[in-house]
Amino acid sequence: MKKVVSLCFIGALGVLLLMLVSSMPRMGDPGSPTNRRVVDRYLEKAEEETGTENVITGVILNYRGYDTMGEVTVIFTGLAAVLAVLGREKRGRVYAYPDRSPVRSSIIVRSAAGFLLPFIALFSLYTVLHGEISPGGGFQGGAVMAAGMFLFAAAFGLWKAGRTVPPRLRFAVEGAAPITFFLVGVAGLLGGGEFLAYMLPRVSAGLQPALRTWLTLLVEGGIGAGGAMIFISVLMALAREEVGGGQAA
Amino acid sequence: MSDALSLVLLALLVVTALAATFSRDLLAAVIVFSGYSLVMALLWQRLQAPDLALTEAAVGAGVTTVLFVTAIFKTQRMEEEGGDRHRRGGANEKESVEK
Amino acid sequence: MGRLLDNYHYAVAAVLFCTGFYSVIMRPNIIKKIIGLNIMETSVFLLLVSLGWKEGGIAPIHAGGAEAASMVNPLPQALILTGIVVAVSTTAVALSLVILLYRQYGTLDVDRLMREEELEVPAAGPEGGEG
Repeated sequence: MKKVVSLCFIGALGVLLLMLVSSMPRMGDPGSPTNRRVVDRYLEKAEEETGTENVITGVILNYRGYDTMGEVTVIFTGLAAVLAVLGREKRGRVYAYPDRSPVRSSIIVRSAAGFLLPFIALFSLYTVLHGEISPGGGFQGGAVMAAGMFLFAAAFGLWKAGRTVPPRLRFAVEGAAPITFFLVGVAGLLGGGEFLAYMLPRVSAGLQPALRTWLTLLVEGGIGAGGAMIFISVLMALAREEVGGGQAA
Repeated sequence: MSDALSLVLLALLVVTALAATFSRDLLAAVIVFSGYSLVMALLWQRLQAPDLALTEAAVGAGVTTVLFVTAIFKTQRMEEEGGDRHRRGGANEKESVEK
Repeated sequence: MGRLLDNYHYAVAAVLFCTGFYSVIMRPNIIKKIIGLNIMETSVFLLLVSLGWKEGGIAPIHAGGAEAASMVNPLPQALILTGIVVAVSTTAVALSLVILLYRQYGTLDVDRLMREEELEVPAAGPEGGEG
């Protein structure tokens, strides 16, 4: 009975959604309401107003900077929630990772991962640093970096990954994204502009464009490094087991 | 954009989503879901969103999948059979009335 | 049927949303529910990005003297870029709760979890997992 009611509900929802779809403006129409108004401004002025050729980066870091700052905080809060639920590594305690078992990844996986990893790291760095001009930016580069680290952990084991990226480094860098965002934002206020104006106090006007580029890069780098570290910490928290306690996997 | 590639990608999306939903093996569902993310990344590229394609490929097919696999490794792989669910048909009835 | 055939991207997004919703409310397994949530999220992303697409549009990047008039809408893309990353964090939080739940009750089946809570109070843990 419950099942039938639920299925009817889902079916009704689907029909309703499809009816809505059939009454929406045609997809790809340049004159549809979503593609008018503020969008033209973004497309035409973004390059001179934000100094980024990639309009998406401009929208994320300038026009909708508050959104992005809140979003960065959300990711950080997500890590905090995971750690609150599962607990954090503590210094001086011994932890077991479930992969310290006789079964190891095959030599093919290990050598392929070893060959690919430098390129993945380089590509993520490129994605972060080149994000103003080509597709990419802090979030994209951080995600690529995290995926590369996950590959490392999958091929060589969490234990070795935990040694390569030691907890001390992770603890220090995890907060990088909200911190750089906030500091650069406040620096804009001190520089006489609005929040997130990408300015510094007491810098001559001629230097402002270069400064804006560097500050944008700083924020991008903060988001990239912080995001990657947050994902790695989440993986470590999910996979870790305390010796003596917990459940055998 | 009525080109064939987008149609194929959209069809693949629906197929993978259904497969991920109806598989009893959780690990298989997660792997199919990572395929779903990869198809989605290709579709972002078709929709002229290269930034999204990059992120979706790294996050959806990489990070999310590893997190899911870790969680399954720590719990159990197969979905439990609802063997004795029919025994409490009465409870089910009550819930549906509440709903 | 109006523009259903023109808007087939939207239609697929609607179908995917219903698939994910089915997974969330009908499948008893919690990990299946989380996968369903992810499918619902991506379906909404698909809808929003295809809303911003223009016929013959190019990616909104000014490199190489591309003209602004022919670019697709950058706003949904920027919003959804952050949305994808937020989706991963919510998934991570949900999975950590799942692991804790399994540690406490030894099952991921929602029906069984509800019943177990009626039957016996588990050994005193640091946190009582809720079903």
